[in-house]
Amino acid sequence: MTHNISPRVARLAGTALLLVLGLAGCGGGAETAQNPLTSAPTQPASYTGPTPATADIQAFKISVWDNVKADNRCGSCHKLGGQTPDFARMDDVNLAYQQALGVVNLASPADSRIVTKVASGHNCWLADNASCGAILTRWISDWASVTQSGGGKTIQLTAPPLKDPGSSKSFPVSPPAEFAAIHNLLKANCAGCHSSQSATQQQPFFASSDVAEAYAAAKVKINLDNPALSRFVVRLRSEFHNCWAPPATSSPDCAANANVMQAAIQAMSNAIAPTQVDSTLFLSKALSMYDGTVASGGNRYDTNVIALYEFKTGSGNIAYDTSGVEPALNLTMSGADTSWVGGWGIQILSGKAQGSTAASKKLHDLIGATGEYSIEGWVVPANVTQEQAHIISYSGGTTARNFTLGQTMYNYDAFGRSSTTNANGSPALSTADADEDLQAALQHVVVTFNPVSGRKIYVNGVFTGDSESSGGTLGAWDDTFAFVLGNEVSGNRQWQGTFRLVAIHNRALTPAQVQQNFEAGVGQKYFLLFSVSHLVNVPQSYVMFEVSQYDSHAYLFNTPKFISLDPAARPGSIAIRGMRIGLNGAEPTVGQAYKSLDTTITDSLYTATAGQAISNVGTIIGLEKGPQFDEFYLCFDQLGSHSKVCSTDAQAVAPAVANVPRPSDIGVRTFEEIAATMASITGVSPNVTAIRNTYANVKQQLPNTENFGGFLAAHQVGLAQLAISYCSALVDDDTKRGQFWGVPEVLNADLSTQGGLDRLINPLLDRTMGLTQLASNPDRATVKSELESLVSTRLCSSGCNATRTRVVTKAVCAAAIGNAVTLVQ
Amino acid sequence: MQRHTMTMAPGMSAGIAYAVIAGMLLSALSPAAFSAPRDQAKRIHDRLVGTPPSEATLNQMAVLITSTSDTNGALQAANLAIDRTRTESSPFYNVTLKNFATPWTNRDQTVFAPLNDYTATVIGMVRDDVPFNTVLSDDILYTASSGGAPAYSPANNDHYQYLEDNHVDLRTALQQTTQSSLNGLPPAATAGVITSRAASQAFFVLGTNRAMFRFTMMSHMCRDLEQVHDTSRPPDRIRQDVSRSPGGDSRLFLNNCVGCHSGMDPMAQAFAYYNFDETAGRLVYTQGQVQPKYLINSDNFKTGFVTPDDHWSNYWRSGQNSLLGWSQSLPGKGQGAKSLGQELGSSDAFAQCQVEKVFRNVCFRSPSDAADRGEVQRIVGVFKNGNYSLKSVFAETAVYCRGD
Repeated sequence: MTHNISPRVARLAGTALLLVLGLAGCGGGAETAQNPLTSAPTQPASYTGPTPATADIQAFKISVWDNVKADNRCGSCHKLGGQTPDFARMDDVNLAYQQALGVVNLASPADSRIVTKVASGHNCWLADNASCGAILTRWISDWASVTQSGGGKTIQLTAPPLKDPGSSKSFPVSPPAEFAAIHNLLKANCAGCHSSQSATQQQPFFASSDVAEAYAAAKVKINLDNPALSRFVVRLRSEFHNCWAPPATSSPDCAANANVMQAAIQAMSNAIAPTQVDSTLFLSKALSMYDGTVASGGNRYDTNVIALYEFKTGSGNIAYDTSGVEPALNLTMSGADTSWVGGWGIQILSGKAQGSTAASKKLHDLIGATGEYSIEGWVVPANVTQEQAHIISYSGGTTARNFTLGQTMYNYDAFGRSSTTNANGSPALSTADADEDLQAALQHVVVTFNPVSGRKIYVNGVFTGDSESSGGTLGAWDDTFAFVLGNEVSGNRQWQGTFRLVAIHNRALTPAQVQQNFEAGVGQKYFLLFSVSHLVNVPQSYVMFEVSQYDSHAYLFNTPKFISLDPAARPGSIAIRGMRIGLNGAEPTVGQAYKSLDTTITDSLYTATAGQAISNVGTIIGLEKGPQFDEFYLCFDQLGSHSKVCSTDAQAVAPAVANVPRPSDIGVRTFEEIAATMASITGVSPNVTAIRNTYANVKQQLPNTENFGGFLAAHQVGLAQLAISYCSALVDDDTKRGQFWGVPEVLNADLSTQGGLDRLINPLLDRTMGLTQLASNPDRATVKSELESLVSTRLCSSGCNATRTRVVTKAVCAAAIGNAVTLVQ
Repeated sequence: MQRHTMTMAPGMSAGIAYAVIAGMLLSALSPAAFSAPRDQAKRIHDRLVGTPPSEATLNQMAVLITSTSDTNGALQAANLAIDRTRTESSPFYNVTLKNFATPWTNRDQTVFAPLNDYTATVIGMVRDDVPFNTVLSDDILYTASSGGAPAYSPANNDHYQYLEDNHVDLRTALQQTTQSSLNGLPPAATAGVITSRAASQAFFVLGTNRAMFRFTMMSHMCRDLEQVHDTSRPPDRIRQDVSRSPGGDSRLFLNNCVGCHSGMDPMAQAFAYYNFDETAGRLVYTQGQVQPKYLINSDNFKTGFVTPDDHWSNYWRSGQNSLLGWSQSLPGKGQGAKSLGQELGSSDAFAQCQVEKVFRNVCFRSPSDAADRGEVQRIVGVFKNGNYSLKSVFAETAVYCRGD
């Protein structure tokens, strides 16, 4: 079922057209100011036929005909007297134009017959059919942008086929018997962390000894429909996460571990019968991503692009230059870890993608002709810690280059050789440290250069404020350098990350053009129309998502809208609550951003051209079987008059708590308790200057936890200093000393006699140990004996005069208040 | 960093000093089974006050302990030890409570941080038996009346630094007041210690204000984000600055990031109007205007959540974290930090956490076995039914760990 939305394209009956402006907020159509410089390798003789009769034919000639007429392209067959349609005929461009109109779709260049034919393998002149299709699309887009100047690019919304969601396997409420094998593997090998009983516990607790708790946590890690895709298996097989040594072996074997785990999950899966999607739920019809309408492309400003990489190939080791500007500067991927990523892109973790010096020379030539350039990339830095990492470079090694975009942690660096820099493009222009412009996320980065104002850096469509005062000329550029991604040509400036698109322009893009290319986005985007006509009383009604493959592991679902393809339809009032995205017959646990949704579609907010937005947020949903096979649907807790909760949260399971032996139930006083204890015993104020100074000095040397095991000799040294400080203040203060020892004066005691020792020591013991013996204290007589021995055998072994007695009193006092009696609690 | 230098008191030789140390070490411990009431009394006093009791207090506590056949006598003894009217209880307020609360007030969680308005407020609330479940939501602040101390300033910590440096007795000096009267916040924008200057300085500075949520969870719910990780919550409130594909790998987000952010971001939204101005040294509150820090790095995920106001929602009321025991009398959503503080303070986990913290402080161990856990549950009941008196929790816990 189709529907016309745009009157301007009413001639395309049977299709639904929607202004991109209204749909995706994209900018106006690409304008074509001038054609890219081209130099096809086997260009035939110059055209001598009739001049183009109209401006449109002129645009066709420049954008398409000049590129396809060569006899190593379409001109080989589709020429005068050759195969029809003869849109590449050399004799009369006006007649060629007439023929071309039958094989192009100017409203949607990617859907042109000429494009789909070549992209499906019809005499592509490159090794990659998709790249030929992309190049043809670009040529036709250039033509269309002139023909339709001033208009927005149109997107055709086509009603998808109606399919019901398929069946899938679901987890039983309680753990099935077959879970035991998985559980045993988890307990044996993962309980060191993933258990609530672990000392280093880390969620989720799927290795808990409590099977209910483990089962609840393990569900999201098990894929019943495809055990090999279970996180438990992938984590071992592909991510090498804490693998273990299989029985009777001594070294970890991730592959074997993964096989054992997969077999256990397979056994559990085999025991579970597939469950049909609950037919009582209120579900939309089902779609795969490729059932949607392509929404990307065509809105970029690529008029001056001279090398373009969209990374659509997905296999092999060649990243094709699809700029259409000859010679194609194709890049060869090499190195230990370079790979294609889903949703268009390449990831380089170790290695590079480099073009030949001969093909790279076109950059030198075409940029040299204008004296300006722009380096544009959609990139995902793998981290924000790498330094001296070259992202995009046209250079000859670490010391000579024409231009380079690099990364230093949170900064982008732009090196550009000109008459104002050295041969290495230095000084570099970098984004400001404080701005942290570079993030480990998908970013659009552009470096522009022109002779007047030099380099400028834009990140995510916005000028970062980083620029230089003047530019210079490019006369010193070297045409023997090579263009390379992810590294330096010499291989020793590795950048780790993902490229989703790279473009080189031979003009400095304007801020508006940079913004336009940022807004255009990157990657495959589709409008998925989930039919809900069977649930609401609105003809041809859909919940429409903008969906793309976000990376190799997830889909991005963006900005859902309610829309009908019947322009006369009005929704009335439709409540939407609790919308879930279903995948392959089940509801993914993670990423259900619309679960909390509670909104109403109303006539006042609905428009026939744009529908009504349901939510402004996007979410990512984990990829399972790949974009070809993954089937999506929507489930609604409530849609209009229909209401049934799609799913409820699993019953929370309280973690089991294991007993642990009680540690010692005594400990040491901590720093401030020690000081307070000494102040309490001696009666000396902690504000005494000497004590305050000592305490400030030793505070962090004293124990800061009660734990006995953490008590060190250093703690005792600090404690001794504080004790000495308190006792020194006590003994030197006549009043305090008198209050403590009473009369007669302790400093007059004869320490060579037992009476003198009693006079000194007994008051100390009374104040520190109390008047009666506590079982928790050391034996008073033993302590006293030790202190007496300290005096008689060490401190006064050669006799003590009055001066010496003062010192000894301080020392014995310190020993009395600084020992385990006061330290231990 | 520990220092190993040694300074001598006047007139003391190094030889004497080391003899002193030797003498200390010779005083070997002889731990024994503690059963005598006087031993129990001493331990209760040691653990609560931090200093040994005077002979008179020890006797008085021992008499109380033996006065009943159950634990009521011991409880009376414990209450005596921390009786705010007795001078001897001062270290409970100046030392025990201060060091109990200080690690909550800074990112390093160090106990060596200076006294500040956060710790003073905790000390004062315990002293005055202010219901402790309001610690995250009340318009409350404690300052001290002390000659020579600089007046409280929302722009510096000088007031509290003076109190600590001069050992001002907080037991008597602290006075309850309101934050709004001193720091200029509207009363509705105050949220107990969350909006204290110390917490603001530590957790509202720079960043995205998620630190305030995380550290509040750690200090008052006894759970770091790892312990509340739940990937099944809706991610619709996760802000734009969280990359959904960190370094190009969305598995990291789907299996890790979302587990914390899905619950944290909708609650940390309560702090959307707060910031700490480093230049002015004070908390800034911009009513009705979301702080720019909530909107940074918006291109990391363009269709992430854009914070429009300070409306928060508790997504953890469903799923695994429903076990935190959220109050059914509250709606689980609201505007601003105060209502979020009430949400946290009214949960079972909050009460349990306070008791467990006191248990570790007094018993020197985490609850280890069924007996310990049973006692913690009993004390949680006492705490909740006793108008959230944290002082009672200290006393009850000291009785349990008095040794018997």
